[in-house]
Amino acid sequence: MDYFKKIFKESIIIVLISSVMGLFSGTLLSNNEVVLSSFPIILLVLPSLNSLIGDISTVLVSRLTSHLYIGTLSPKIQVSDRLKQDFYGLAITILLSLAALISLGYMLGSVIGIEIVNPLLIISILIITILILFGFMFVFLFMGSILIFRKGNDPNNFLIPMLTSLADFLTPLFIIIFIQIFV
Amino acid sequence: MEAQDTKGRIIKETFPSEMVSIVGDILAGIVLSLLIVSFESFLLLILIIPALLSLRGNLSGPFIARTSRDFIIGEFNKKSWFENVLATFTLSLLTALAIGVFSILINFLLIKLYIFHIGLLIVIPVISILLTLSISIPCSTILNFLAFKRGFDPNNVVNPIMTAIDDFFTVISFYLTIIMLGVP
Repeated sequence: MDYFKKIFKESIIIVLISSVMGLFSGTLLSNNEVVLSSFPIILLVLPSLNSLIGDISTVLVSRLTSHLYIGTLSPKIQVSDRLKQDFYGLAITILLSLAALISLGYMLGSVIGIEIVNPLLIISILIITILILFGFMFVFLFMGSILIFRKGNDPNNFLIPMLTSLADFLTPLFIIIFIQIFV
Repeated sequence: MEAQDTKGRIIKETFPSEMVSIVGDILAGIVLSLLIVSFESFLLLILIIPALLSLRGNLSGPFIARTSRDFIIGEFNKKSWFENVLATFTLSLLTALAIGVFSILINFLLIKLYIFHIGLLIVIPVISILLTLSISIPCSTILNFLAFKRGFDPNNVVNPIMTAIDDFFTVISFYLTIIMLGVP
């Protein structure tokens, strides 16, 4: 039962912390309900937006971990060709997915009769939020994976639970900040 | 994995999976608003839902990533899979209990709504999570296996697709649980 013990030991604290962090995201949303409800389209796409940044970050951690285990990525904090491929590949994927999500959101919004307010500004805010979060997550998760792997632990067990809660909290936070700055 | 692992491959494999995830999430949102909003105890139920949905990332995500890694490094076998599943179920049980206890605390301090027996706030997440994982674990293992066998990188494909499946079944399991327990 060594594998069981390793997973349990490495995961239990971070999983519990992340679950409790989920409650803070809910509190953030309910405290800024007025700001968000001024732009109903944001409420419509927010869950998918959280999933998008969470999914791409999970793919990144999962890929980095596999590369570290099979030795195709050196456990050093340095720029490599492997890392550049991952960065560009995931950056293009996240932008394409965001474009699809925004199109789908506005189409659905029009069908169900949601009020469309200042679409250019809202689309710009969503793009800036995603780009900033992706850049931050990429650097943070790359460094985190290397450091955790060097200590002999599995980055999947620590970073994936953490990044989900972080994405759920930071995505609405950035959107709210940008709305308050630009609107 | 490395030889053909270019940015083109990442986009080609991850983007379609991400599309499934986005559509699935929007569907889950619609199902959630259609099924749950009408409950009398909605204010209490909405406390648990975000925490339950975050379990997709906290428990299912790492499970999928560990399975993908085991396939890629050639260490996937019945024993490693069984221990991975057991660890995931044990962690989920403890997390569900924590969510329940926290919900009771928040209700006691902030919401103060006592429509049903407060102990149900512990039972609901436990049953919902176990139901969701009973679907999610076999699904993700089969998807990992198929992706790997067909020459895809499971890291790129499986997680986004499972996000959609997990979120959708979390909502359905949650709904079935509150119906089974007779929550008003």
